[in-house]
Amino acid sequence: MCNITKEKVYEAISTVIDPEVGFNLVEMGLIYDAIIDDNCNVKVIMTLSTRGCPLHQMIKTWVQEAVEKIDGVGEVEIEIVWEPAWNISMAADNVKEALSGGTPSF
Amino acid sequence: MFAVSKDFAPPLKLIAPFFKLGVIFYLLSTIALLAFNSTFAYQEMAIAGWVHLFLLGFVMVIIFGAMAQLIPVVLEVGHAIVDLYYVILPLLGIGTVGMVIGFWVNPAILPYGGILVLTSMIIFASEAFATLRKTEINTITVKTVAVSNSYLLIGILTGFAIALGLSGDIAIDVDTMLKAHVYAVLGGFVLLTIMGLSLTLIPMFSLAHGFDETPINRGFNLVAIGVGVVFIGALIGVDFVQWLGYLTTLVGVGFYIYQIYIIYKLTVRKELDVWAKSMIFGFGSLILSIIVGIIYLVTPSTEHFLNTSIWFFMIGFIGFLINGHLYKIVPFLVWFERFSPLVGKEKVPMLHEMYPKGQANMMFWFSSIGTTLSGMGLLFESDYLFKSGASLLMIGAIFLYISMSKMLGYGK
Repeated sequence: MCNITKEKVYEAISTVIDPEVGFNLVEMGLIYDAIIDDNCNVKVIMTLSTRGCPLHQMIKTWVQEAVEKIDGVGEVEIEIVWEPAWNISMAADNVKEALSGGTPSF
Repeated sequence: MFAVSKDFAPPLKLIAPFFKLGVIFYLLSTIALLAFNSTFAYQEMAIAGWVHLFLLGFVMVIIFGAMAQLIPVVLEVGHAIVDLYYVILPLLGIGTVGMVIGFWVNPAILPYGGILVLTSMIIFASEAFATLRKTEINTITVKTVAVSNSYLLIGILTGFAIALGLSGDIAIDVDTMLKAHVYAVLGGFVLLTIMGLSLTLIPMFSLAHGFDETPINRGFNLVAIGVGVVFIGALIGVDFVQWLGYLTTLVGVGFYIYQIYIIYKLTVRKELDVWAKSMIFGFGSLILSIIVGIIYLVTPSTEHFLNTSIWFFMIGFIGFLINGHLYKIVPFLVWFERFSPLVGKEKVPMLHEMYPKGQANMMFWFSSIGTTLSGMGLLFESDYLFKSGASLLMIGAIFLYISMSKMLGYGK
Protein backbone atom coordinates (compact mmCIF):
# COMPACT_ATOMS: atom_id res chain seq x y z
CA MET A 1 0.00 0.00 0.00
CA CYS A 2 1.35 3.43 -0.91
CA ASN A 3 1.28 6.25 1.62
CA ILE A 4 1.79 9.08 -0.88
CA THR A 5 -1.31 11.21 -1.01
CA LYS A 6 -2.61 13.53 -3.69
CA GLU A 7 -2.05 16.42 -1.27
CA LYS A 8 1.61 15.46 -0.96
CA VAL A 9 2.01 15.50 -4.75
CA TYR A 10 0.29 18.88 -5.01
CA GLU A 11 2.50 20.20 -2.20
CA ALA A 12 5.61 19.09 -4.12
CA ILE A 13 4.39 20.67 -7.35
CA SER A 14 3.60 23.91 -5.56
CA THR A 15 7.37 24.53 -5.42
CA VAL A 16 7.34 25.05 -9.20
CA ILE A 17 6.84 28.71 -10.06
CA ASP A 18 5.76 30.12 -13.40
CA PRO A 19 8.45 32.77 -14.02
CA GLU A 20 6.15 34.92 -16.13
CA VAL A 21 3.40 35.44 -13.57
CA GLY A 22 5.25 34.56 -10.36
CA PHE A 23 2.71 32.05 -8.99
CA ASN A 24 3.12 28.35 -8.43
CA LEU A 25 1.46 25.90 -10.81
CA VAL A 26 -0.98 24.60 -8.21
CA GLU A 27 -2.40 28.00 -7.29
CA MET A 28 -2.53 28.85 -11.01
CA GLY A 29 -4.92 25.88 -11.34
CA LEU A 30 -2.75 24.19 -13.93
CA ILE A 31 -2.66 20.82 -12.18
CA TYR A 32 -5.82 18.89 -13.06
CA ASP A 33 -5.17 15.61 -11.26
CA ALA A 34 -2.58 13.36 -9.66
CA ILE A 35 -3.20 9.62 -9.88
CA ILE A 36 -1.22 7.43 -7.49
CA ASP A 37 -1.26 3.65 -7.79
CA ASP A 38 -0.49 1.02 -5.16
CA ASN A 39 3.19 0.97 -6.15
CA CYS A 40 3.50 4.74 -5.60
CA ASN A 41 3.78 5.43 -9.30
CA VAL A 42 2.43 8.92 -9.91
CA LYS A 43 0.75 10.29 -12.99
CA VAL A 44 0.22 14.06 -13.04
CA ILE A 45 -2.35 15.44 -15.44
CA MET A 46 -1.81 19.12 -16.06
CA THR A 47 -2.16 21.90 -18.58
CA LEU A 48 -0.38 25.17 -19.38
CA SER A 49 -1.77 28.68 -19.47
CA THR A 50 -0.85 29.02 -23.17
CA ARG A 51 -0.63 26.33 -25.81
CA GLY A 52 2.31 28.05 -27.46
CA CYS A 53 4.22 28.35 -24.17
CA PRO A 54 7.93 28.22 -25.01
CA LEU A 55 8.61 26.76 -21.56
CA HIS A 56 6.38 23.75 -22.22
CA GLN A 57 9.10 21.13 -22.05
CA MET A 58 10.95 22.75 -19.16
CA ILE A 59 7.85 23.11 -16.98
CA LYS A 60 7.09 19.43 -17.56
CA THR A 61 10.60 18.56 -16.43
CA TRP A 62 10.37 20.81 -13.36
CA VAL A 63 7.09 19.15 -12.30
CA GLN A 64 8.60 15.71 -12.82
CA GLU A 65 11.67 16.58 -10.76
CA ALA A 66 9.55 18.09 -7.98
CA VAL A 67 7.39 14.96 -7.69
CA GLU A 68 10.43 12.67 -7.84
CA LYS A 69 11.70 14.32 -4.65
CA ILE A 70 8.82 12.80 -2.63
CA ASP A 71 10.07 9.98 -0.40
CA GLY A 72 9.17 6.55 -1.71
CA VAL A 73 7.78 7.67 -5.02
CA GLY A 74 7.96 5.22 -7.93
CA GLU A 75 7.71 6.08 -11.62
CA VAL A 76 6.55 9.62 -12.37
CA GLU A 77 4.66 10.46 -15.54
CA ILE A 78 3.51 13.92 -16.59
CA GLU A 79 0.75 14.26 -19.12
CA ILE A 80 -0.07 17.67 -20.60
CA VAL A 81 -3.64 18.02 -21.81
CA TRP A 82 -5.45 20.88 -23.55
CA GLU A 83 -9.00 19.87 -22.65
CA PRO A 84 -10.42 21.45 -20.68
CA ALA A 85 -8.52 24.57 -21.68
CA TRP A 86 -7.20 26.56 -18.74
CA ASN A 87 -8.94 29.75 -17.76
CA ILE A 88 -8.62 32.15 -14.88
CA SER A 89 -11.60 30.70 -13.00
CA MET A 90 -9.42 27.65 -12.29
CA ALA A 91 -6.86 29.73 -10.40
CA ALA A 92 -6.85 30.35 -6.64
CA ASP A 93 -8.49 33.52 -5.36
CA ASN A 94 -5.17 35.17 -4.53
CA VAL A 95 -4.01 34.68 -8.15
CA LYS A 96 -7.25 36.05 -9.57
CA GLU A 97 -7.03 39.03 -7.28
CA ALA A 98 -3.38 39.76 -8.02
CA LEU A 99 -3.73 39.44 -11.79
CA SER A 100 -6.95 41.36 -12.19
CA GLY A 101 -6.21 43.91 -9.52
CA GLY A 102 -2.76 44.88 -10.72
CA THR A 103 -2.26 48.45 -9.68
CA PRO A 104 -2.51 50.66 -12.75
CA SER A 105 0.61 52.81 -12.71
CA PHE A 106 0.71 55.27 -15.55
CA MET B 1 1.85 16.11 -29.47
CA PHE B 2 2.93 19.67 -29.04
CA ALA B 3 6.42 20.17 -27.71
CA VAL B 4 8.90 22.99 -27.92
CA SER B 5 11.99 21.60 -26.32
CA LYS B 6 15.09 23.51 -25.46
CA ASP B 7 16.66 21.97 -28.58
CA PHE B 8 14.28 23.99 -30.76
CA ALA B 9 15.15 27.31 -29.14
CA PRO B 10 18.00 29.19 -30.85
CA PRO B 11 20.78 30.28 -28.47
CA LEU B 12 20.76 33.79 -27.02
CA LYS B 13 24.05 34.60 -28.78
CA LEU B 14 22.26 34.12 -32.12
CA ILE B 15 19.19 36.23 -31.34
CA ALA B 16 20.57 38.98 -29.08
CA PRO B 17 22.59 40.71 -31.86
CA PHE B 18 19.37 41.17 -33.88
CA PHE B 19 17.76 43.05 -31.00
CA LYS B 20 20.94 45.06 -30.24
CA LEU B 21 21.40 46.11 -33.85
CA GLY B 22 17.70 46.78 -34.37
CA VAL B 23 17.61 49.14 -31.40
CA ILE B 24 20.77 50.91 -32.63
CA PHE B 25 19.12 51.44 -36.04
CA TYR B 26 16.00 52.71 -34.24
CA LEU B 27 18.11 55.21 -32.31
CA LEU B 28 19.88 56.31 -35.51
CA SER B 29 16.56 56.75 -37.30
CA THR B 30 15.24 59.00 -34.51
CA ILE B 31 18.44 61.09 -34.63
CA ALA B 32 18.12 61.36 -38.43
CA LEU B 33 14.56 62.66 -38.05
CA LEU B 34 15.99 65.93 -36.70
CA ALA B 35 17.30 66.70 -40.18
CA PHE B 36 13.83 66.55 -41.74
CA ASN B 37 11.00 69.05 -42.01
CA SER B 38 7.27 68.56 -41.69
CA THR B 39 6.63 68.82 -45.43
CA PHE B 40 8.24 66.54 -48.00
CA ALA B 41 7.55 64.30 -51.00
CA TYR B 42 7.87 60.53 -50.88
CA GLN B 43 9.92 60.53 -54.06
CA GLU B 44 12.74 62.42 -52.31
CA MET B 45 15.85 60.28 -51.95
CA ALA B 46 16.41 61.57 -48.41
CA ILE B 47 12.96 60.35 -47.37
CA ALA B 48 13.52 56.98 -49.03
CA GLY B 49 16.82 56.73 -47.10
CA TRP B 50 15.12 57.37 -43.77
CA VAL B 51 12.27 54.96 -44.52
CA HIS B 52 14.78 52.20 -45.32
CA LEU B 53 16.82 53.00 -42.21
CA PHE B 54 13.70 52.59 -40.09
CA LEU B 55 11.99 49.72 -41.92
CA LEU B 56 15.03 47.62 -42.80
CA GLY B 57 17.36 48.53 -39.96
CA PHE B 58 14.84 48.55 -37.14
CA VAL B 59 11.61 46.78 -38.17
CA MET B 60 13.03 43.99 -40.35
CA VAL B 61 16.06 43.29 -38.16
CA ILE B 62 13.90 42.99 -35.03
CA ILE B 63 11.20 40.96 -36.82
CA PHE B 64 13.82 38.56 -38.18
CA GLY B 65 15.36 38.16 -34.70
CA ALA B 66 11.94 37.65 -33.16
CA MET B 67 11.04 35.12 -35.87
CA ALA B 68 14.21 33.17 -35.14
CA GLN B 69 12.81 32.67 -31.64
CA LEU B 70 9.10 32.52 -32.42
CA ILE B 71 8.95 30.30 -35.51
CA PRO B 72 9.60 27.15 -33.43
CA VAL B 73 6.99 28.30 -30.90
CA VAL B 74 4.40 29.05 -33.55
CA LEU B 75 5.08 26.10 -35.85
CA GLU B 76 5.88 23.71 -32.99
CA VAL B 77 8.97 22.35 -34.80
CA GLY B 78 12.65 23.27 -34.84
CA HIS B 79 14.20 25.48 -37.52
CA ALA B 80 15.26 23.76 -40.74
CA ILE B 81 18.73 25.39 -40.62
CA VAL B 82 18.89 27.76 -37.67
CA ASP B 83 22.55 28.68 -38.29
CA LEU B 84 21.49 30.62 -41.38
CA TYR B 85 20.45 33.39 -39.03
CA TYR B 86 24.16 33.99 -38.36
CA VAL B 87 24.43 34.94 -42.07
CA ILE B 88 21.16 36.84 -42.35
CA LEU B 89 22.04 39.53 -39.80
CA PRO B 90 25.34 40.79 -41.24
CA LEU B 91 23.93 40.73 -44.77
CA LEU B 92 20.85 42.67 -43.73
CA GLY B 93 22.80 45.08 -41.50
CA ILE B 94 25.49 45.92 -44.05
CA GLY B 95 22.95 45.96 -46.88
CA THR B 96 20.80 48.45 -44.98
CA VAL B 97 23.77 50.76 -44.39
CA GLY B 98 24.65 50.45 -48.09
CA MET B 99 21.13 51.32 -49.17
CA VAL B 100 20.84 54.29 -46.79
CA ILE B 101 24.18 55.65 -48.02
CA GLY B 102 22.96 55.02 -51.56
CA PHE B 103 19.83 57.07 -50.97
CA TRP B 104 21.56 59.83 -49.02
CA VAL B 105 24.95 60.11 -50.70
CA ASN B 106 25.45 58.21 -53.95
CA PRO B 107 22.70 56.27 -55.83
CA ALA B 108 25.36 54.13 -57.54
CA ILE B 109 25.80 52.30 -54.20
CA LEU B 110 22.10 51.39 -54.00
CA PRO B 111 22.23 48.11 -55.98
CA TYR B 112 25.16 46.86 -53.87
CA GLY B 113 23.24 47.47 -50.65
CA GLY B 114 20.11 46.15 -52.34
CA ILE B 115 21.70 42.88 -53.39
CA LEU B 116 22.87 42.21 -49.82
CA VAL B 117 19.39 42.94 -48.46
CA LEU B 118 17.83 40.82 -51.20
CA THR B 119 20.15 37.91 -50.40
CA SER B 120 19.44 38.12 -46.66
CA MET B 121 15.69 38.14 -47.27
CA ILE B 122 15.80 35.26 -49.72
CA ILE B 123 17.73 33.24 -47.15
CA PHE B 124 15.27 34.23 -44.42
CA ALA B 125 12.19 33.38 -46.51
CA SER B 126 13.68 30.11 -47.81
CA GLU B 127 14.57 29.00 -44.28
CA ALA B 128 11.06 29.91 -43.09
CA PHE B 129 9.48 27.93 -45.96
CA ALA B 130 11.75 24.95 -45.24
CA THR B 131 10.69 25.05 -41.59
CA LEU B 132 7.04 25.41 -42.59
CA ARG B 133 7.28 22.15 -44.53
CA LYS B 134 8.13 20.32 -41.29
CA THR B 135 5.07 21.44 -39.35
CA GLU B 136 1.86 19.46 -39.14
CA ILE B 137 -0.28 22.20 -37.64
CA ASN B 138 -2.34 24.71 -39.59
CA THR B 139 -3.24 27.68 -37.41
CA ILE B 140 -3.84 31.23 -38.54
CA THR B 141 -0.30 32.13 -37.48
CA VAL B 142 1.18 29.35 -39.61
CA LYS B 143 -0.82 30.61 -42.58
CA THR B 144 0.46 34.10 -41.85
CA VAL B 145 4.09 33.01 -41.96
CA ALA B 146 3.55 31.39 -45.38
CA VAL B 147 1.70 34.28 -47.02
CA SER B 148 3.74 37.09 -45.48
CA ASN B 149 7.01 35.50 -46.58
CA SER B 150 5.70 35.19 -50.13
CA TYR B 151 4.92 38.91 -50.12
CA LEU B 152 8.37 39.60 -48.70
CA LEU B 153 10.00 37.93 -51.69
CA ILE B 154 7.75 39.77 -54.16
CA GLY B 155 8.33 43.08 -52.36
CA ILE B 156 12.09 42.76 -52.22
CA LEU B 157 12.32 41.79 -55.90
CA THR B 158 10.38 44.91 -56.92
CA GLY B 159 12.57 46.92 -54.53
CA PHE B 160 15.71 45.57 -56.18
CA ALA B 161 14.31 46.50 -59.58
CA ILE B 162 13.78 50.04 -58.25
CA ALA B 163 17.37 50.15 -56.96
CA LEU B 164 18.62 49.16 -60.42
CA GLY B 165 16.33 51.76 -61.98
CA LEU B 166 17.53 54.55 -59.69
CA SER B 167 21.17 53.73 -60.32
CA GLY B 168 20.51 53.82 -64.07
CA ASP B 169 21.21 50.13 -64.69
CA ILE B 170 17.75 49.36 -66.08
CA ALA B 171 14.89 51.48 -67.43
CA ILE B 172 11.71 51.07 -65.35
CA ASP B 173 8.87 53.29 -64.17
CA VAL B 174 10.09 53.88 -60.62
CA ASP B 175 6.84 55.49 -59.40
CA THR B 176 4.72 52.51 -60.46
CA MET B 177 7.13 50.03 -58.95
CA LEU B 178 7.44 52.07 -55.77
CA LYS B 179 3.77 51.73 -54.87
CA ALA B 180 3.82 47.97 -55.55
CA HIS B 181 7.04 47.62 -53.52
CA VAL B 182 5.82 49.62 -50.52
CA TYR B 183 2.51 47.80 -50.39
CA ALA B 184 4.00 44.31 -50.74
CA VAL B 185 6.59 44.90 -48.00
CA LEU B 186 4.64 47.10 -45.59
CA GLY B 187 1.19 45.57 -46.02
CA GLY B 188 2.09 42.11 -47.24
CA PHE B 189 4.99 41.29 -44.95
CA VAL B 190 5.12 43.70 -42.01
CA LEU B 191 1.38 44.07 -41.37
CA LEU B 192 0.51 40.41 -41.94
CA THR B 193 3.45 39.28 -39.78
CA ILE B 194 2.40 41.61 -36.98
CA MET B 195 -1.22 40.43 -37.29
CA GLY B 196 -0.18 36.79 -37.06
CA LEU B 197 2.37 37.17 -34.30
CA SER B 198 0.22 39.44 -32.19
CA LEU B 199 -2.47 36.77 -32.18
CA THR B 200 0.03 34.44 -30.52
CA LEU B 201 1.82 36.94 -28.30
CA ILE B 202 -0.91 39.26 -27.03
CA PRO B 203 -3.14 36.49 -25.57
CA MET B 204 0.00 34.82 -24.18
CA PHE B 205 1.15 37.90 -22.27
CA SER B 206 -2.32 39.08 -21.26
CA LEU B 207 -3.54 35.56 -20.35
CA ALA B 208 -6.66 35.91 -22.51
CA HIS B 209 -8.34 32.62 -23.36
CA GLY B 210 -11.29 31.08 -25.13
CA PHE B 211 -11.81 33.83 -27.69
CA ASP B 212 -13.41 33.46 -31.10
CA GLU B 213 -10.84 33.68 -33.94
CA THR B 214 -13.32 34.32 -36.75
CA PRO B 215 -12.51 38.06 -37.01
CA ILE B 216 -8.75 37.51 -37.40
CA ASN B 217 -9.33 34.81 -40.00
CA ARG B 218 -11.49 37.17 -42.02
CA GLY B 219 -9.06 40.03 -41.41
CA PHE B 220 -6.09 37.99 -42.50
CA ASN B 221 -7.77 36.79 -45.72
CA LEU B 222 -8.96 40.28 -46.62
CA VAL B 223 -5.57 41.93 -46.01
CA ALA B 224 -3.76 39.20 -47.94
CA ILE B 225 -6.16 39.63 -50.89
CA GLY B 226 -6.23 43.44 -50.61
CA VAL B 227 -2.43 43.72 -50.72
CA GLY B 228 -2.33 41.51 -53.81
CA VAL B 229 -5.01 43.58 -55.54
CA VAL B 230 -3.19 46.89 -54.82
CA PHE B 231 0.08 45.33 -56.00
CA ILE B 232 -1.44 44.25 -59.31
CA GLY B 233 -3.36 47.53 -59.63
CA ALA B 234 -0.14 49.50 -59.15
CA LEU B 235 1.77 47.41 -61.71
CA ILE B 236 -0.92 47.67 -64.39
CA GLY B 237 -1.62 51.29 -63.45
CA VAL B 238 -5.40 50.98 -62.95
CA ASP B 239 -6.66 53.25 -60.17
CA PHE B 240 -9.97 51.45 -59.72
CA VAL B 241 -8.22 48.16 -58.96
CA GLN B 242 -5.96 49.90 -56.46
CA TRP B 243 -8.96 51.47 -54.72
CA LEU B 244 -10.60 48.07 -54.50
CA GLY B 245 -7.43 46.78 -52.87
CA TYR B 246 -7.27 49.69 -50.40
CA LEU B 247 -10.87 49.10 -49.39
CA THR B 248 -10.39 45.35 -48.95
CA THR B 249 -7.28 45.93 -46.86
CA LEU B 250 -9.06 48.51 -44.74
CA VAL B 251 -11.95 46.16 -43.97
CA GLY B 252 -9.40 43.45 -43.13
CA VAL B 253 -7.59 45.73 -40.70
CA GLY B 254 -10.98 46.58 -39.18
CA PHE B 255 -11.54 42.87 -38.46
CA TYR B 256 -8.06 42.69 -36.94
CA ILE B 257 -8.78 45.61 -34.62
CA TYR B 258 -12.08 43.98 -33.64
CA GLN B 259 -10.18 40.76 -32.84
CA ILE B 260 -7.77 42.66 -30.60
CA TYR B 261 -10.78 44.25 -28.86
CA ILE B 262 -12.23 40.77 -28.21
CA ILE B 263 -8.90 39.65 -26.74
CA TYR B 264 -8.69 42.83 -24.66
CA LYS B 265 -12.15 42.17 -23.19
CA LEU B 266 -11.00 38.70 -22.09
CA THR B 267 -7.65 39.85 -20.71
CA VAL B 268 -6.95 38.46 -17.28
CA ARG B 269 -3.85 40.49 -16.47
CA LYS B 270 -4.84 44.08 -15.85
CA GLU B 271 -1.39 45.35 -14.89
CA LEU B 272 -0.41 48.42 -16.92
CA ASP B 273 3.25 47.59 -17.43
CA VAL B 274 5.32 49.03 -20.29
CA TRP B 275 4.10 46.26 -22.60
CA ALA B 276 0.40 46.93 -21.90
CA LYS B 277 0.85 50.70 -22.25
CA SER B 278 2.72 50.22 -25.53
CA MET B 279 -0.08 48.00 -26.88
CA ILE B 280 -2.71 50.59 -25.97
CA PHE B 281 -0.71 53.38 -27.62
CA GLY B 282 0.09 51.18 -30.63
CA PHE B 283 -3.50 50.21 -31.38
CA GLY B 284 -4.69 53.75 -30.64
CA SER B 285 -2.18 54.93 -33.25
CA LEU B 286 -3.42 52.34 -35.74
CA ILE B 287 -7.01 53.58 -35.36
CA LEU B 288 -5.85 57.20 -35.69
CA SER B 289 -3.79 56.29 -38.76
CA ILE B 290 -6.84 54.71 -40.41
CA ILE B 291 -9.07 57.70 -39.65
CA VAL B 292 -6.55 60.21 -41.02
CA GLY B 293 -5.84 57.88 -43.97
CA ILE B 294 -9.53 57.80 -44.89
CA ILE B 295 -9.66 61.62 -44.72
CA TYR B 296 -6.72 61.70 -47.15
CA LEU B 297 -8.40 59.28 -49.56
CA VAL B 298 -11.59 61.34 -49.75
CA THR B 299 -9.83 64.72 -49.90
CA PRO B 300 -7.25 64.59 -52.70
CA SER B 301 -4.18 66.82 -52.73
CA THR B 302 -3.91 66.89 -48.95
CA GLU B 303 -0.54 65.25 -48.57
CA HIS B 304 -0.23 66.20 -44.90
CA PHE B 305 -3.06 63.78 -44.06
CA LEU B 306 -1.19 60.99 -45.86
CA ASN B 307 2.06 61.88 -44.06
CA THR B 308 0.31 61.90 -40.67
CA SER B 309 -1.44 58.61 -41.38
CA ILE B 310 1.80 56.89 -42.38
CA TRP B 311 3.60 58.40 -39.39
CA PHE B 312 1.14 56.97 -36.87
CA PHE B 313 1.15 53.63 -38.68
CA MET B 314 4.94 53.29 -38.78
CA ILE B 315 6.07 54.94 -35.55
CA GLY B 316 2.92 54.72 -33.43
CA PHE B 317 1.67 51.27 -34.40
CA ILE B 318 4.64 49.25 -35.69
CA GLY B 319 7.22 51.01 -33.48
CA PHE B 320 5.27 50.64 -30.23
CA LEU B 321 4.18 47.07 -30.92
CA ILE B 322 7.80 46.08 -31.49
CA ASN B 323 9.33 48.09 -28.65
CA GLY B 324 6.64 47.02 -26.17
CA HIS B 325 7.23 43.37 -26.96
CA LEU B 326 10.99 43.74 -26.53
CA TYR B 327 10.35 44.21 -22.79
CA LYS B 328 8.68 40.78 -22.71
CA ILE B 329 10.74 38.82 -25.22
CA VAL B 330 14.27 39.87 -24.25
CA PRO B 331 13.92 39.13 -20.48
CA PHE B 332 12.44 35.75 -21.41
CA LEU B 333 15.36 34.92 -23.72
CA VAL B 334 17.90 35.93 -21.08
CA TRP B 335 16.03 34.02 -18.37
CA PHE B 336 15.76 30.94 -20.57
CA GLU B 337 19.49 30.98 -21.31
CA ARG B 338 20.94 31.97 -17.94
CA PHE B 339 18.41 31.08 -15.25
CA SER B 340 16.26 28.16 -16.42
CA PRO B 341 19.03 25.63 -15.69
CA LEU B 342 19.10 26.92 -12.09
CA VAL B 343 15.40 26.32 -11.37
CA GLY B 344 15.00 24.11 -8.31
CA LYS B 345 18.65 24.61 -7.37
CA GLU B 346 18.67 28.28 -6.37
CA LYS B 347 16.42 31.30 -6.36
CA VAL B 348 15.86 32.62 -9.85
CA PRO B 349 14.43 36.02 -10.81
CA MET B 350 10.93 36.53 -12.14
CA LEU B 351 10.73 37.90 -15.69
CA HIS B 352 9.27 41.23 -14.62
CA GLU B 353 12.31 41.81 -12.39
CA MET B 354 14.62 41.59 -15.36
CA TYR B 355 13.91 44.90 -17.08
CA PRO B 356 14.59 48.39 -15.70
CA LYS B 357 11.09 49.66 -15.01
CA GLY B 358 12.06 53.31 -14.55
CA GLN B 359 13.91 53.50 -17.86
CA ALA B 360 11.19 51.51 -19.59
CA ASN B 361 8.62 54.04 -18.40
CA MET B 362 10.81 56.92 -19.55
CA MET B 363 11.11 55.22 -22.94
CA PHE B 364 7.34 54.93 -23.15
CA TRP B 365 6.52 58.49 -22.13
CA PHE B 366 9.21 60.25 -24.19
CA SER B 367 8.37 58.11 -27.22
CA SER B 368 4.59 58.42 -26.96
CA ILE B 369 4.63 62.19 -26.43
CA GLY B 370 7.26 62.52 -29.16
CA THR B 371 5.23 60.44 -31.62
CA THR B 372 2.11 62.48 -30.91
CA LEU B 373 3.88 65.85 -31.21
CA SER B 374 5.63 64.92 -34.46
CA GLY B 375 2.36 63.53 -35.82
CA MET B 376 0.69 66.84 -35.04
CA GLY B 377 3.65 68.60 -36.67
CA LEU B 378 3.02 66.64 -39.89
CA LEU B 379 -0.71 67.26 -39.72
CA PHE B 380 -0.40 71.03 -39.20
CA GLU B 381 2.80 71.28 -41.26
CA SER B 382 4.69 72.77 -38.32
CA ASP B 383 8.45 72.19 -38.32
CA TYR B 384 8.60 73.33 -34.70
CA LEU B 385 6.14 70.67 -33.52
CA PHE B 386 7.69 68.00 -35.74
CA LYS B 387 11.24 68.61 -34.52
CA SER B 388 10.14 68.92 -30.88
CA GLY B 389 8.50 65.53 -31.16
CA ALA B 390 11.53 64.05 -32.93
CA SER B 391 13.77 65.26 -30.08
CA LEU B 392 11.58 63.50 -27.52
CA LEU B 393 11.51 60.36 -29.67
CA MET B 394 15.30 60.40 -29.74
CA ILE B 395 15.45 60.62 -25.93
CA GLY B 396 12.95 57.74 -25.76
CA ALA B 397 15.20 55.75 -28.10
CA ILE B 398 18.20 56.39 -25.81
CA PHE B 399 16.19 54.97 -22.89
CA LEU B 400 15.28 51.98 -25.06
CA TYR B 401 18.94 51.40 -25.87
CA ILE B 402 19.92 51.60 -22.18
CA SER B 403 17.06 49.25 -21.23
CA MET B 404 18.11 46.79 -23.91
CA SER B 405 21.72 46.80 -22.71
CA LYS B 406 20.59 46.19 -19.12
CA MET B 407 18.18 43.41 -20.08
CA LEU B 408 20.76 41.61 -22.20
CA GLY B 409 23.39 42.03 -19.48
CA TYR B 410 21.13 40.78 -16.63
CA GLY B 411 22.79 38.01 -14.66
CA LYS B 412 25.88 37.94 -16.87
